[in-house]
This record gives sequence, C-alpha cells and structure tokens, in this order.
Amino acid sequence: MSETVEKSKTAKETKILVIACERSVNLEKDLDGRKLKGVENALVVQVPCSGMIQPRMIEAAFKDGADGVIAMGCQIGDCHFREGNKFCRERLLGLRPPVIKKSVPKNRLKGLWMSEVQVDTFKKRVEEFKEHVANELAQGR
Amino acid sequence: MFTTLVRTGQKVILRIEDLLNKIFTAEENILYYHGALPNFFMWILFLSGLLLFVYYIPTLEGAYQSVEYITRKVPYGDMVRGIHRYAADAMLLTVLLHAMRVYFTDRYREYRIIAWYSGIALSVMMSIIGISGYILVWDERSYQIVLKMSEFLAAVPFIGQSMSHAFINDDVISNYTMSMAFFLHTGISFSLLVMLWVHYMRISRPVVNVTWSIGCLLGGLILIISGILPATSGPEANFTVEPKYFDMDWFYLWIFPVMKILGNGWTWLLVIAGITFSVLLPNFVKSRDHEAAEVNKDKCVGCKLCSIDCPYEAIYMSPRNDGSRFKEIAVVIDDRCAECGLCVGACNFDAIELPFYTSPTVMDDVRIALQNA
Repeated sequence: MSETVEKSKTAKETKILVIACERSVNLEKDLDGRKLKGVENALVVQVPCSGMIQPRMIEAAFKDGADGVIAMGCQIGDCHFREGNKFCRERLLGLRPPVIKKSVPKNRLKGLWMSEVQVDTFKKRVEEFKEHVANELAQGR
Repeated sequence: MFTTLVRTGQKVILRIEDLLNKIFTAEENILYYHGALPNFFMWILFLSGLLLFVYYIPTLEGAYQSVEYITRKVPYGDMVRGIHRYAADAMLLTVLLHAMRVYFTDRYREYRIIAWYSGIALSVMMSIIGISGYILVWDERSYQIVLKMSEFLAAVPFIGQSMSHAFINDDVISNYTMSMAFFLHTGISFSLLVMLWVHYMRISRPVVNVTWSIGCLLGGLILIISGILPATSGPEANFTVEPKYFDMDWFYLWIFPVMKILGNGWTWLLVIAGITFSVLLPNFVKSRDHEAAEVNKDKCVGCKLCSIDCPYEAIYMSPRNDGSRFKEIAVVIDDRCAECGLCVGACNFDAIELPFYTSPTVMDDVRIALQNA
C-alpha cells in the first residue's frame, strides 16, 4: 500500500492531455504553445471537430505518458459539423465503431462537451479531472 | 466590424443556449431544434388546414359564410381556425430564428449552400401562402389585399398587367379569383414538401422532428393562445362599400403598410433587393482554401464507416476492380466535403485523411506535447 502511495502523483503532477475541437471552448488567449494557461500539466491538441478524434489517438496519448485524457467537443446538440460530438461520445462509450481498446484505462478518460464561451468552466473541469485522475492513480487503477 | 458583429451574434446565441441547457438539458433544448421547429408547425398547419378544408367553400358567396360556419357552428371550429393562424405565425417566427442561427454560427455557405438557397425559396413560398390565406376569409381585409396585390403586380413593367390578370383570374374579381387564391394557398403548401426535399439534400440524417416534450409544450402554447385570442373575421367584403377593416398580422401582411408608405415601385425594389441580398450573402465572406479529405487506395478496406458517418453525404462507396481483395472503396466528392474530419474519426485504418492535418500528425503533436510538458 505504501508503495503505491509513493508511486502515485499529486493532483498537480498528473499530466492531462485534452484533444479538443477547435470550435468548442475558445482557447485563443489561454494557450501557451500547447500548454493550458492557469492549469499545470494540462496540454491541448486541437482538431477541426471532436468527431475526428480516433480511438487510436487516445491510445497513443496514454502510451506517450498522459495520466488522463479528455476528449472535448461542443455541447451535445450543437456541432458545427452536425454530428461530430455525438459520434465522439458514442465512441467513448463504446457504442460506435471503431471502439476503444480494452487496455485503455477508461476511468482516466473523459468526454467534455462545452461551447465557445465556457472557458472558465472548462478550466474548472480540468482541475476536477486532475484530482480524479490522481485519486485513481493513488488507488492503483 | 462586420465580422465582430457576426462573432458577437454567435456568442449571444451560445450564451442563451447554455442557459437553456441548464434549465431544460441539452436533449430538450428548444434552440437545438431550430430547424425542426418550423417543420413541427408545418405539420400542425397541414392538419388544421385539412380540418378547415372540410367545411370551406372557395366562392365569393360561400367563402365568408363557410368560415363563419366553421367559427360558430362546428365544434371547436374557432379553436382549429385559431390554431391554423397562430401556428402560421409561429412557423414564420421559427424560420427567422432558424435563419439567424445558421447565419450567425456560419452554417449557411460552402457545403451548405443548397440549404441556404432553398431556404430563401421556402421563405418566399411561405409569404405567398400566408398572404393568399388571408384572401380566403373574404372579409374586408381580404378585399383590400386583392385590390392592393393586383395593383402591386400590375406595377411591374411589361408583364405586370398579365400577372395582375392571372392573379385576379378574370377581368374583374370573381369566383375565379377565389379559386386562384385557394390554389395559391394549398398548391404552394404542398410544393413546400418538394422544396423541403431540396432543403435536406446533402444533409445526412437531418433533424426534422422535435422531441415529444417540446412538441407538447409548443402545441399546448398554440392551443392556449388560440383559446384566449380566437382568430376572427372582419365584416364581409362588399363591392358597394369602401373596405376599412384591416386587422394586422405583422408576420405575413407587413408588405401592405410598406406599400402604403413607399408606393408599389419602391416596395418592388425593396422585395427584390431583399431577396438578392440574401442570395448574395454567402459571397460576402471569403471561403477558405478547399482541401477535401483524401482516400488512401492501398489502405481502404471498404468498411463503409466513413460514408455512413459523413454528415454531408460527401462520401460514397464505389466498386473496385483494381486487383484489391476488397470489393469497395470510399470516394470523396470534393465540393461537398466540409473538411470536418468525421471520416477520419470513423476510420480505423488511416485510409482517409485531411491533407492539412492528418491523423499521424495529430498523434505526433500529442507525443511532442507530452514530451515537452
């Protein structure tokens, strides 16, 4: 037990990768390269639509050292390309092919659906997710 | 400045939607069904119109009496009439909402251009249906509409007289005028369905229905309004009496006060300028450089997933006979492609990619970002 606690990270140290739709939360002023300003160890890669996020991208992110991955699209019901965020959500839930491999730790994977104007809420959610990921890691999951 | 205006409009809409999401949840958010709302009211109009049609008589002698009969004698007839009127207003209102929503969120041009143009046609058709519907009642307002409309049509050079004659359907107002108005009202109503088919072209799985709860809410609202403010007729039209009654419906009859103020010529110019402006609107914004999704022949296994997921019907499956062991290959229709990448998300074989941001590049970006953190 003590070993796992030593190995685990604090919420601050957990590395979060956000694969985000470029039309959802407007991060123009909140990105320093790929780093999210105001939140430590949070990185953002933007794609044209959350519907473009392949399960393989999520797998790659975990393989490359992310502790948690967030797939972010616009609010469900409002996708610029009509159905991208719905498809993304269905893939995260394993309801739409291609599905995510079982080896991916789904407890550290999150779907987030926010509109352009919700920058502050987005940061709050990332912070909450970091804590969640730290908890999960502490329990060895 | 123009761009700022559009951006601000979009932000306002998104904030309102966010608020509604908190109250109603995203599944029941009325603004996410902005395209389905006019459709909902259209079906109400077809249904209530059918009920009115059972008793309506489209002649000069019969029209007013039959409408009065519907209002006074037929059980709930006044209610059905009220529903028909207020659903029509609601339809135009939601059409305006729909148009504004797609305009401010930039969803009306490039790969959506057919929907924009057919939408303009649908709006014009709706206006004609609305105006001709007010003739059918044949009260003093109807009489004035026929008089002013025939003058308005006659004001067009060269073909105006013939247009006016076709509208009155005789040299003087007669039963034929009523049958013409009746045809314009019902005939164009059914043509809406044809134009709607065009409107849905290139849209896979269009959202055409509202949810049950939204439907019940709005249907109930129409019912309550038609109960409180029943639609009524003015005095019956009489050729020997100067018509005075003109109860205003600002959604469909706005053109008549405009005619009174500007005169026929300027009103025509205004209408033509309005339609031309709407048609040209998509050209005011510069299009992006177009780079459609590309299929990798060697990797495509013909699984159809991208063609199913494409939201704009830009991908179809074509039989292949190039010696591959797979029977079909995905083909992208370049000018329909919106460059959204939904096909990339659907492909597990890296067989379809956006040239400007391929999935290996995304994965590289992910790796580099994580390494540098």
